[in-house]
Amino acid sequence: MPIASTISQAPPAIEVQDLTKSYGQVVALRGLSFCVPKGETFGLLGPNGAGKSTAIQIMTGLLRADSGRALVDRGQPHLSDIRRRIGVAPQALSLYDELTAAENLAFFGRLYGLSGSRLQTRVDWGLEFAGLQDRARHRAATYSGGMKRRLNIAIALIHEPQVLFLDEPTVGVDPQSRNHIFESIHRLQEAGLTILYTTHYMEEARRLCHRVAIMDKGQLLALDTVPNLIASHGGASKIIADVEFWPKELSAVGPPQEGQLLTTSAEPLAEVARWTNAGAKLNSLQISSPDLESVFLNLTGRSLRD
Amino acid sequence: MQILTLALKDLKLLLRDRTAAFFILAFPVLMGLFFGMMMGGSSGSSRGKMSIAIVDDDKSELSQAFVDALAKNSSIAVVPADFEAAKESVRKASRTGMLVIPQGFHKTAGILWEPQPELQLGVDPSRAAEAAMLEGFVMQAMSELIQHRFQNPEAFLPSIVQAREDFAANTAIDPLTRQLGSTMFAALEQFVGQAKLDAADDSPQAATEGATSAGIQLAQIRKLDVTTQTVPDSVSAQTAKLRSRWDISFPQAMLWGVLGCAAGFAISIARERSAGTLQRLLASPLGLQRILLGKALACFLASLFVISLLTLLGFALKMRPESFPKLAVAAVCTAACFVGIMMTVSVLGKTEQSVGGVGWAINLVMAMIGGCMIPVMFMPEFIQRVSILSPVRWSILAIEGAVWRQFSWLEMAWPCLILIGIGLAGFALGSFILRRSQLSSH
Repeated sequence: MPIASTISQAPPAIEVQDLTKSYGQVVALRGLSFCVPKGETFGLLGPNGAGKSTAIQIMTGLLRADSGRALVDRGQPHLSDIRRRIGVAPQALSLYDELTAAENLAFFGRLYGLSGSRLQTRVDWGLEFAGLQDRARHRAATYSGGMKRRLNIAIALIHEPQVLFLDEPTVGVDPQSRNHIFESIHRLQEAGLTILYTTHYMEEARRLCHRVAIMDKGQLLALDTVPNLIASHGGASKIIADVEFWPKELSAVGPPQEGQLLTTSAEPLAEVARWTNAGAKLNSLQISSPDLESVFLNLTGRSLRD
Repeated sequence: MQILTLALKDLKLLLRDRTAAFFILAFPVLMGLFFGMMMGGSSGSSRGKMSIAIVDDDKSELSQAFVDALAKNSSIAVVPADFEAAKESVRKASRTGMLVIPQGFHKTAGILWEPQPELQLGVDPSRAAEAAMLEGFVMQAMSELIQHRFQNPEAFLPSIVQAREDFAANTAIDPLTRQLGSTMFAALEQFVGQAKLDAADDSPQAATEGATSAGIQLAQIRKLDVTTQTVPDSVSAQTAKLRSRWDISFPQAMLWGVLGCAAGFAISIARERSAGTLQRLLASPLGLQRILLGKALACFLASLFVISLLTLLGFALKMRPESFPKLAVAAVCTAACFVGIMMTVSVLGKTEQSVGGVGWAINLVMAMIGGCMIPVMFMPEFIQRVSILSPVRWSILAIEGAVWRQFSWLEMAWPCLILIGIGLAGFALGSFILRRSQLSSH
């Protein structure tokens, strides 16, 4: 998802400068800096332990940084006025199992000062957003993991925040609920909400985020749109071919080992065309374009899921 | 407003957690009823026998018959004693009263035409109602001596013969009356040995009223001044103030309920932390302090509710608090104290299980030495000294002060101030630890 020019010129919704945080001997953040303009969906991509959740906790005012600063809507996030503009859907399902979906939504709505018909309207909206109208009066304990995840996000939105922090919102959900969550996020994007989205799923980052920051061991390794990251750090495409005949002219590329050729190229289609023009006969061909996994591998020397 | 929202949410969660609701509501009621029934014989309207010290200076067969007649009464327990010991026991409230049977009792007791012996009756002045009852029972026992006389003709006949001869020899009486009297005594002399008196009515009032309405005096009773001089802290002095079997057990039950509240809400903070809802609450505009105040308010309201519920139940069972305003003050101080304890206990573990385990361990120790199981006054002296460390003791003392100990406001102040102090210290300590752990946690 390319970043729209209107977004890139918008004023910042989140500003993070030189954040550092340690837990004893463990360094969680090492000088993290980035800026998220209003209306952007910004992805924090990194393996478990990369420092994503710590960064979110600092940005939402739940944790103090050792140094550096984080601003949301140009204010410090521990201030209650700023907190009213922030919605947080923590990675852990943060809802009361013994309350119904409607009661959970109403409770958190009241904490943000909603009451009366306004509260009822927002509760109804939340139930519809989470797809739980039919289960509104059932206790959350009876919900599936996906339903709970959706409710978890709806609660974060009950007070109509301007900035939404989604911390691994699709962990442990079924494909149907994941799609529901993706569609919901698209709706929020269309409404102009600023979203900071952490995940270790590349597909989610590619599909949902205007820009992606790749983190590892508390550091920001790269930050750009997904195509730019791949172009910059993804490396060449992989070509795997089952070869029936391989001409001597192409000996610089080959020769194939036991009838199979494995090579890389920045322009794989042009390369394959050159082989066939030279007389090569291929039984099958597989081309793998670089992705965020490749980007991460190239940046860190290890896989995203290691 | 948000604090109230938080508190109401916690109360709703509490009511939906059946186990927690049982320990907070049903368990204390069961404990109160159980201990109340165990104490059934020791106090109040349901008291068993009145313990009466008997000083028998006559030491005759008839005085023994009188004592046996008294002992037959299911409302009286008779204990032989000498005069000083008997008086001391009444003074110290270990006996309800004392009765002195004078020398020569056997000569005239139960003989209607003779002057009756003078019995001395001393009763604890604070038990006036029982004194009147006891007087009636004495009359009843004396009336049985008349029957006893007729059932022992050999012993009774000489008295009749003597009376007939004295009557006949008395020249101050006119001849016609002497003739009639001699005839009557002769008939009586003949009757003795065969006559049977109907069984006396069992009620003491009937015995007294029946005798006096007929113009017959069954006994002369002289009141003995026994000013109670009990040691204020003695068990007997304390229990003397009890008016109902529930006076002790319901304050205990209230504390069980309050302990249940404290344990339940301590776990709820750990649960919020482990479930992640604490993070969400902290990310709201509330701030930690108001979140904790919400928890505290919920625990406070639940504790007051439990105390109120048990007060109502106790009232239905005839527990009559001396002072409702003082009971309200004691309840508020108790609830405040255990809110503070709840706050501290809630940060002593990281998981619900560890907080629950630590919470109930602390609760049980506080309950045991504080008098939730056995009243402190019945404990060995060294445990009574240790029990001052338990907030439960001060809570029970404050509640009992309002229910039956007849505390003045000044006497109420001491336990109440201790409770408030513990509550504030606990709240401050718990908040401080939670704030620190929250700021440094991952």
